Amino acid sequence: MSIRENFVVPKRYNTIAISLMVVGILAIVGLYVTSGSKDDAHHQARFWASLLQNSVYFLLVVNASMFFICATTLAWGGWQMAFRRVPEAISAVVPVVGVICAAILLAITFGGQHAIYHWSDTEHVKHDPTLLHKEGFLNKGFFAVATVLTVVLWSVLGWKMRQLSRSLDNEPLKTVEERRKYIWKNTVWAAGYIVVFALTVMSSLPWLWLMSIDAHWYSTMYSWYTFASTFVAGMALIALFVVFLKNNGYLEYATNEHLHDIGKFMFAFSVFWTYLWFSQFMLIWYANIPEETVYFKPRAEGAYSGIFWLMFLINFLAPLLILMTRGAKRNYGTITFMALLIIFGHWLDFYQMVFPSPMTDEKGVTHVPMILYDFGVALGFVGLIMFAVGRALSKAPLLAKNHPFIKESLIHHT
Amino acid sequence: MALLRYESQVRPPLVDGSKDYHQVTEDICRPVEAKPSRLWWMGFLISVALLIFGIVSVTMEVMYGTGQWNLNKTIGWGWDITNFVWWVGIGHAGTLISAILLLFRQGWRTGVNRAAEAMTIFAVMCAGQFPIWHMGRVWNAFFVLPYANTRGPLWVNFNSPLLWDVFAISTYFTVSLLFWYSGLLPDLATLRDRAKEKWRKAFYGVAAFGWTGSTKHWQRHEALSLVLAGLSTPLVLSVHTIVSFDFATSVVPGWHTTIFPPYFVAGAIFSGFAMVQTLLLVTRKVLALEDYITIEHIEVMNKVIVLTGSIVGIAYLTELFMAWYSHVDYEWFAFKENRLSLSSPYGWSYWLMMGCNVLSPQIFWFRKMRRNLLVTFFMSILVNIGMWFERFVIIVTSVYRDYLPSAWSTYYTPTIWEVGFYMGTFGLFFTCYFLFSKFFPVIALAEIKHILKRSGENYKEKMDEVEEETTEEFGGKHGHDHGA
Repeated sequence: MSIRENFVVPKRYNTIAISLMVVGILAIVGLYVTSGSKDDAHHQARFWASLLQNSVYFLLVVNASMFFICATTLAWGGWQMAFRRVPEAISAVVPVVGVICAAILLAITFGGQHAIYHWSDTEHVKHDPTLLHKEGFLNKGFFAVATVLTVVLWSVLGWKMRQLSRSLDNEPLKTVEERRKYIWKNTVWAAGYIVVFALTVMSSLPWLWLMSIDAHWYSTMYSWYTFASTFVAGMALIALFVVFLKNNGYLEYATNEHLHDIGKFMFAFSVFWTYLWFSQFMLIWYANIPEETVYFKPRAEGAYSGIFWLMFLINFLAPLLILMTRGAKRNYGTITFMALLIIFGHWLDFYQMVFPSPMTDEKGVTHVPMILYDFGVALGFVGLIMFAVGRALSKAPLLAKNHPFIKESLIHHT
Repeated sequence: MALLRYESQVRPPLVDGSKDYHQVTEDICRPVEAKPSRLWWMGFLISVALLIFGIVSVTMEVMYGTGQWNLNKTIGWGWDITNFVWWVGIGHAGTLISAILLLFRQGWRTGVNRAAEAMTIFAVMCAGQFPIWHMGRVWNAFFVLPYANTRGPLWVNFNSPLLWDVFAISTYFTVSLLFWYSGLLPDLATLRDRAKEKWRKAFYGVAAFGWTGSTKHWQRHEALSLVLAGLSTPLVLSVHTIVSFDFATSVVPGWHTTIFPPYFVAGAIFSGFAMVQTLLLVTRKVLALEDYITIEHIEVMNKVIVLTGSIVGIAYLTELFMAWYSHVDYEWFAFKENRLSLSSPYGWSYWLMMGCNVLSPQIFWFRKMRRNLLVTFFMSILVNIGMWFERFVIIVTSVYRDYLPSAWSTYYTPTIWEVGFYMGTFGLFFTCYFLFSKFFPVIALAEIKHILKRSGENYKEKMDEVEEETTEEFGGKHGHDHGA
């Protein structure tokens, strides 16, 4: 039996992707005209906050694919091999979104957007004892180095993992010994990536990129929370592409069994996200220390309470109730719907993480901006990811057919 | 014909040697059916002696009150709660192995799950002792249960995480016990059917609940396992989460930090696996079960140890960093003066914790070390010492110098009865474990048989032909459509 292993990007697919990108660019232009080009800092902050939220969110979501690859590699997982090329293709987008994201972040830091990163205003910091205290960590130089280094390391290590996977496409390994060596080599590189991941996403990076927007506030849970949010959205993205390829007659060997397991990840990590959400929120609420509750004030009770509770509903109750049953996780329609909902829900999560602080005016009142623009920017990123993932998928066979664990994946059953 | 039992030959076998189903039964039932060895008796008697020491210590405490312990106004929690959290933590690996690894379909769990689950139950029993006897007037212990009472408006405090502990731990204990025991049923039936003595037949006959091994029984058994695994998975997280709430809901520097819940869970799994290693390294040797608890099992568990140890390490550093970053003087004082500073009374305990929990497990990045039994044994002890000190650091260094310098306590040392109580829980733990290893199969017999034809050494060797098939050939022959 021959298999269709070369993906040809359908014309309609690219048309949609490009249209979405056009929508994104229009939204950015619209935002620039209505706020970014204005003279006052708060209007400008609204423009940059949108770019920051979208670029950071989508970068972490596509990067979650490489985390999935490396985690399953270290755990010697075999079941995912039937669709392994999908997360590979998604992770190939990391350098593209990474460069965009880094450019935006550096533009904000060095372009004088102090309403977003208060700590980047050296004049202001001089009179703010807390920010002065934090200067050793929150300063432009360190921010720039950490940002650039992270994007480079993710891109290079991800490239190496994909290289290793493709190196077998035309040269199958002959002996068990060779296969063992190959697995070992993968393990070493994956471990390297995981260490970098631990030092970036799981600790320092969310503090710099996101938590420092509320520069006075702090929470030790913040980075793990951010990780949970983007990992579950990352799994949802993988599910979307698997369903898309199946519907187009590709990925013969990825069956309902595989989709079922991806669905389990979406379910389990939605609950895990909720666990971290609850722990962070409850502990701050319970201890009731003003320095900490200040973060949740505009979110849980203020202007952002609608978004705050809506995203909680979407990210917790919906996956819990809808993805609970076996049938739901094996149904293309349900999985597609839930994947879209989860990606949107965590986008909202990032929205309420980023916007309240820059959207607070001189009087201390927090506003919710016209969110339609941000939807537009998000669609632009979606289009970009669609386009780039499509290209990446078409460049390599869809089946990692010579991987030592591929046969296990073929007879995988839940 | 569709092949359902294939596994890549790259994976090392999980059952060594040339075994068939009968041989597996013989190997695992042998220690239960043979007379206990002299080594067993020695270990058992030492454990009982420790248990008696514990009973004496607790009796002293009940007779004369908690004044027998060296707690004081500033350090209201000392050794007793440290020990409580330590034992609860150890009780995490069993359910993680049986539930979460079952959901993740990790075949290697079958070699170690039975002993780990038993260990979990005993560890939780030991943990429970501490809050119970810490109550002082232990005859009023039932006051923690929220039942309609005649004490008027006097109800338990539902706002208190200590009460949540009561629910969390009793639920965890119940579900773990059910999980362990329902897994034991088929094995107990095997022992019953093999029994020659009358008492043995009667004992295992009652214990096996009339298991016949019919298809219906198996079907229900498998369904039950899955349901219990589903229930246990959130429980693994919830128990230590709620234990962490005991500290984190407060406003005590060093206690109130949002990362506590997941970090406590990771630490609990870390210490639980260390204890599993300690016990299994001895068990496999004494009961000659090296073919079932192979070096591969040891290596995999060492990987879990380096992973969870590193997660805990990130949490330590995050906490430390945030203590500085937060710009809260009290928080920073707790870390800088009470923990980091080696010239402070307890500074050494912080560094001991860092050394044992974060630095030392890093040697498990090396394959040679992961497969070295001596190193593993030594490390498993070291990790448990480190994890004990983690709780000690959290509990004592945060409170012995709190907000009010006039209340700062002098050096806290436990009395002989606090030490005796702790030793007594070791007695309880090992007495139970020795009895378990004598009367129950320490390896899940039925589950080993379940993976034998896929992961057994002699069966894997027969897979050569399948291993050489190309992916297309293999897919054509064995791939099956699941309604996709």
